[in-house]
Amino acid sequence: MEKNYLWRVYWRLAGVIMLCVVLALAVVSYFSHRVFEAELVPETQQKAATIAASVRALVIKATGYGVPFASLYGVDQTLREVIDENPEFSYAALTDLDGKVLFARGQEPAEARAYFATPKVLAVSLDPTASWANEHVGKNYFVSQPIRTDKPLGTLHIVIDGKFVENVLLEVMLDVVVVLVVSLFFTLELLNFMAGARLASGLGEFQHQVERMRAGDFTATARIRANDEIGRLLRRIDAAVDHLNVRYEFLVGELEEKLRKATGERREALKPAAQAMEAVKQRLRFGSARKDSDGDEMNLNRIRAPLFAFILAEELTRSYLPNYVNQLLVVIPGLSPQVVIGLPIMLFMLIVALGQPYLGGWSERIGRRRAMLIGAFIATVGFGGSAAAVNLYDLLLWRSLCAIGYAMVFVAAQGYVLDRTGHHNRAQGFALFIGAIMVATVCGPSIGGILADNIGYRLSFAVSAVVAVASVLAIARLPAQEVRSPTSNRPSRGPRMREITALLFNGRFMTLTGLAAMPAKVILTGVCFYLVPLYIVSIGNTSAMAGRMLMVYAVMMVLIVPLSASLSDASLRRDRYVSVGLIISGISGLLLLISDSFLVLFGVVFLLGLGQALSIAAQSALVAEHCQEEIRIYGHDAVYGVYRLLERLGNALGPLLASLLVVFWGYKGAFVAISALVLFCGLAFTVASRGFDPVDDAETAKS
Amino acid sequence: MGTIRVRFILVALVVSFFAVGMSAFLNYFKYKSTISGIVKSRVLLVGRGIESSVQASIQVGMQFNEIGTLPEVLKRELLSDPLLRGIDVFDAQGVIIYSSDRPRVGQKVPDAWLQTAERSKATEWSTEAAEDYVAGISVKNAFDLTVGFLALRYAREEVDRAAAKAGGEILAAALTAFAGVAVVAPLALIIVIRRFERDLRSLEAAAGHLEDRTPAQPAAASAFDGAIATLRVSLDDANKSLDQLRAKLDAAG
Repeated sequence: MEKNYLWRVYWRLAGVIMLCVVLALAVVSYFSHRVFEAELVPETQQKAATIAASVRALVIKATGYGVPFASLYGVDQTLREVIDENPEFSYAALTDLDGKVLFARGQEPAEARAYFATPKVLAVSLDPTASWANEHVGKNYFVSQPIRTDKPLGTLHIVIDGKFVENVLLEVMLDVVVVLVVSLFFTLELLNFMAGARLASGLGEFQHQVERMRAGDFTATARIRANDEIGRLLRRIDAAVDHLNVRYEFLVGELEEKLRKATGERREALKPAAQAMEAVKQRLRFGSARKDSDGDEMNLNRIRAPLFAFILAEELTRSYLPNYVNQLLVVIPGLSPQVVIGLPIMLFMLIVALGQPYLGGWSERIGRRRAMLIGAFIATVGFGGSAAAVNLYDLLLWRSLCAIGYAMVFVAAQGYVLDRTGHHNRAQGFALFIGAIMVATVCGPSIGGILADNIGYRLSFAVSAVVAVASVLAIARLPAQEVRSPTSNRPSRGPRMREITALLFNGRFMTLTGLAAMPAKVILTGVCFYLVPLYIVSIGNTSAMAGRMLMVYAVMMVLIVPLSASLSDASLRRDRYVSVGLIISGISGLLLLISDSFLVLFGVVFLLGLGQALSIAAQSALVAEHCQEEIRIYGHDAVYGVYRLLERLGNALGPLLASLLVVFWGYKGAFVAISALVLFCGLAFTVASRGFDPVDDAETAKS
Repeated sequence: MGTIRVRFILVALVVSFFAVGMSAFLNYFKYKSTISGIVKSRVLLVGRGIESSVQASIQVGMQFNEIGTLPEVLKRELLSDPLLRGIDVFDAQGVIIYSSDRPRVGQKVPDAWLQTAERSKATEWSTEAAEDYVAGISVKNAFDLTVGFLALRYAREEVDRAAAKAGGEILAAALTAFAGVAVVAPLALIIVIRRFERDLRSLEAAAGHLEDRTPAQPAAASAFDGAIATLRVSLDDANKSLDQLRAKLDAAG
C-alpha cells in the first residue's frame, strides 16, 4: 500500500466537496443578487430623489435671486459633490425644458441624451403635479426630478450605476473566497476527525500487522475492533492469527505431553518433532502481543480535533482584539493609549511564556486529559468574560484567564503527544500537533474578522466561548487512562534560574536566541497581532480585511514551512535559512517606505509570512546544532526550555515595542522600525554565525 | 451503506452547511449594512441642511444655544422625510437644547449617544436607540471645536422590515442550495470513493479467505493486493511450518 494512498483519497473527496460547495455558493450568490437588486434599487432611487430635492432647493434659491437658470454658478461643483459622495451614482445632469444638458458631472451613459429628450421625460418637467420619476434605461437607473418655481425650469437627473449592486456583492465575494479557503481546510480537518483518524489508524494497523507477520510475529493482540470495514478486516486477521496460535499451542501441548510420557526409543523418535518445534520457535513468534505505544495511534489522532477547536477559539480573536480593546479603553495615567491597547496581548503572551515551562510537570502529575479539561474550561470562562467586559481592567483579567487556559491546554496536548509516541513516530505526532494549530491559524483570524464586522466584537468573543466549550466536550471524549511511552518516562521540569542565567551569558546560545528567535517573535506579534489589525482599521478598512491579511500569513506558513524544513534539513545549512528568513522578514515592513497602499500592505504580510516560514523550522533545529556544548553541560531540556522561554518572551515584547513605536512614529513608522530592527538582527546573525560549522543530524543525535 | 461512506457524506454535509451558512450570513449582513447605509445617508442629508443653517448662525456671531430660528427649522425638516421621528440638538454635556419635539428640550440624551459622538473620528456618527436608529453630526465652530451635536432619530422599522424580508429570501436560497448539495454531494462522493470502497471490499474479501489452503486468488488490482499477498504468504508459511511439525509428531506415533 502506498504511503500517500489515504491522502490521495482525501484530496479527491475534498475536491468533490469543494465543487459542491462552490455550486451551492453560486446558487446563494445568484439569489442574493436578485434580492439585493429588488430591494436596494428602490431605496437608492429614494435616496437619489432626496439628494435631487436638496440640489433643487439650491437651484431654486439661486434663480430666486434672479440668476438665469442656464447661467447658474457652482452647479458643476454641487453635482461633482453628489457624484463624489455617493459612489452608487455615476452621473448627474441638469437639463432645460428641451432636454438639453446644461450642467453635468460623472460618466455620461450612452443612452442619456436620447432619454432626456424623450417626450415622457419632457412631460415630467412640465407636469406641475409630478414630484420625481424613475426609469430603468439600458443598464442604469435614471431618477429625474422636475425643477420649477412659478414656471417650469428644467429637470435634474441622477443616474444610478447599474453595476452598483454587483459592486456591493463584489465586496461580499472577498469574504466568500475566504469562506471557501476555510471550508477546504475544514474539510480536510473533518475528514481526518470524522473518518480519517479511525481509517488512518486502522489501515496503519493493518500495514503494521502485515509487517509483523512477514517478520514471523504471530502474537495475538486482544484489541476491541470497531464495527466498520477496517474493523471487520482487522477482526478477520485477528481470527486467522488466533487460529494459528491455537494450533501452535495445541502442538506444543501435545509434544510436551508425549515427551513427558516417552522413554528410551520412543523419546528418540520424538526428536525430529522437538527439533522442528525449536525451529518454529526460532523463526516464528506466537502467544500474546506486548501492549506498547504503537497501538495507541488511534488515541494519538484523537487529540487533533479538540486541539484544533481550542486553538481556533483563540485565533478567532486575533484580527479584532486590538480594536475591541480600543473600544474599552480607559485612561491610565502615564501610559499612552497605544501602549494600553497592546497590554492585553502583551499580558497574554507573558503569561503563556512564563507558565508553559512549569505547566508541563503539572499536567504530568494531574493527567494530560484533566489538565486540558481544566485549561479549556478556564479559557471558556475567559472568552465569556471578555465578551461581557465592562472596561479594560476586567478585560485584562478575562484575557489572563484565556492565557492561563491556553498555556495549560497547549502544554498538556504536547505532553499527550509525547506520551503516545516513541522515537519512531514522534515527528509524525508533532506534525499532527502542529498541523492542528496551523489550520486553526488559517481559519481563525479570517472568520473572526468577518464575525466581528457583522455581529460585533462581543458576540464574536461569545462565539469563541462556544468553540471553546466544543473543545471541552471533545477533550472529555479523550481516553481517561494515562499512558507513558518508554521515552517519556523522565518527569519534565521548567528551567532553573541558574541555567537561565548561565545561558543568558552564553554567546553561542544568545546569538541564536537573541538575534534570531526573539526578533522573529517580536515581529510576529508586533506586526501581525498588534499593528496589522489596528492599522487596517485606522485606514478605514474592516476587521474582516485584517483577518484576510492574517490568513495570508498563515497560508504562507502552511505552504512553506514543510518545504523549508525538509530543504534546510537536507542542505545542513540551517543557519542560511534562518538568515534569509530574518532578512526577508526585515525587508517586509520597509516596503511601506515605498507606498502605504493596500497592495503594499499585502506585500508586507506576504513577505513576513515567507520570511518566518523559511526560518522557523530551522531555528529550533539550530539550537541542537550550535549549542552542543551547552546541551552537554546543562542538558537538552534545560537548553530548549530556556530557548523556548526567551522566544516566548519575544512574543510578549512584540506588542509593547510596536505600541511604543506607534506613539513616537505612527503606524507606518512602527512597521518600518520593527522591520529595520529584525533586518539588523538578521544581518548580525549572518555575520555572527559564519564561524559555526554545519553539523550532521546523526552527529547532533549522538550528542 | 458502509460506515466509512456515511462518515464521508457527513463531512460533506457539515462543510456545505458551514459554507452555505456563512455565505448566507455574509449576504444578509451585507444587505443589512448597505440598506442601513443608504437610509442613514438619506437622513444625514437632511441633517447636513440643518447643520448648514446652524453654521450660518454661528458664523454671524450667534451663540450655539441662542439660535432662535432653529426649532422652526427642525420642525420643518422633520416633515421633509417620512422616515424621520425627531430631530434633537444637544450640547457637549448631552443636554438637549433644541428639538423638533418640544418636551424633550432640557432632557439628557442617553450616554451612549454622547460617547459615540465623542469617539467618532469623523463628524458623522450613528447609534441605536430602543425603537429608533440615530444618525448624528458633530457641529463644529470656525476653530474646529465641537460646540454641540445634531441627532436625527429615524424609524428602524424600514430597515428592519427590509432586512427581515431580504433575510427570509436569502435563507430560502441558502436552504435550497443546501438541499441541492445534500442530494448531489452524496452521489458525487459515491462515484469518487467507488474505487476506495472496491479496494476495501477486495481487502475484506481476501481477508475472509486468508486461512484457505486453496491457491491464491488472482489479484483484484486494488491498492492492497501486495499487502494481502504478503499476509497470505506469511500465514501459509506459518501453517506449513506447523503442518511439518504435525507430520513429524504423527510420524513419531
